[in-house]
Amino acid sequence: MQRGGGSRLYLALICKLYSFIMFLQQKMKSKSIICFLLGWLIPGLGHLSLKKFWRAGIFFVSISAMTALGLIMGGKIYSFQTENPLTILAFFSDIGNGLLYILSKVLSLGMGELKKSTFEFGTAYLAGAGLLNYLIALDAFDIAAGKKK
Amino acid sequence: MILKSHLLSMIIYAFFVCVVLALIRREKRGNQIKYALSLFLFMVAGALLFGWFMYLFVL
Repeated sequence: MQRGGGSRLYLALICKLYSFIMFLQQKMKSKSIICFLLGWLIPGLGHLSLKKFWRAGIFFVSISAMTALGLIMGGKIYSFQTENPLTILAFFSDIGNGLLYILSKVLSLGMGELKKSTFEFGTAYLAGAGLLNYLIALDAFDIAAGKKK
Repeated sequence: MILKSHLLSMIIYAFFVCVVLALIRREKRGNQIKYALSLFLFMVAGALLFGWFMYLFVL
């Protein structure tokens, strides 16, 4: 009778431990996903939430400067359209800008000024900023997941 | 209208890309600076070389 009770206690303890580990794993995973989403939304915010202040500041300044220069130069932020398949790639890189992409749709930013000689470079700046921001957000994800310091 | 010079636009673009990639890909400060400088030189020199290469195919 006592043996049975002891084994049940062990089993219950193992179950509790397992659920606790699963809970921790889930929490860690959700934390890293939140860091990724924060980093995607605003450049450097993922690193800021991880208390990497210098990196966060440099990332924010670099990506914001690239985006601002792209907009000033008359670059275009592409929306999803299937008429020209190459613009789908541009859309995926532009959506990396996170909050700016959403704002551009609301405030009609980044419409693209073809008359300007800097239009192509402006578009490249915006796409480059979006792609770099993906890398920054993934870096924040890795740091939060403990894969990187 | 700013940055009419394509060369200057390209150099500034390369600078920002190098800064971000160096911070992501290298951990130590010394390695970051080395990586950023070498990447910057490769990007600028590579673009200039490729630009001159394309000059051969002017119609």
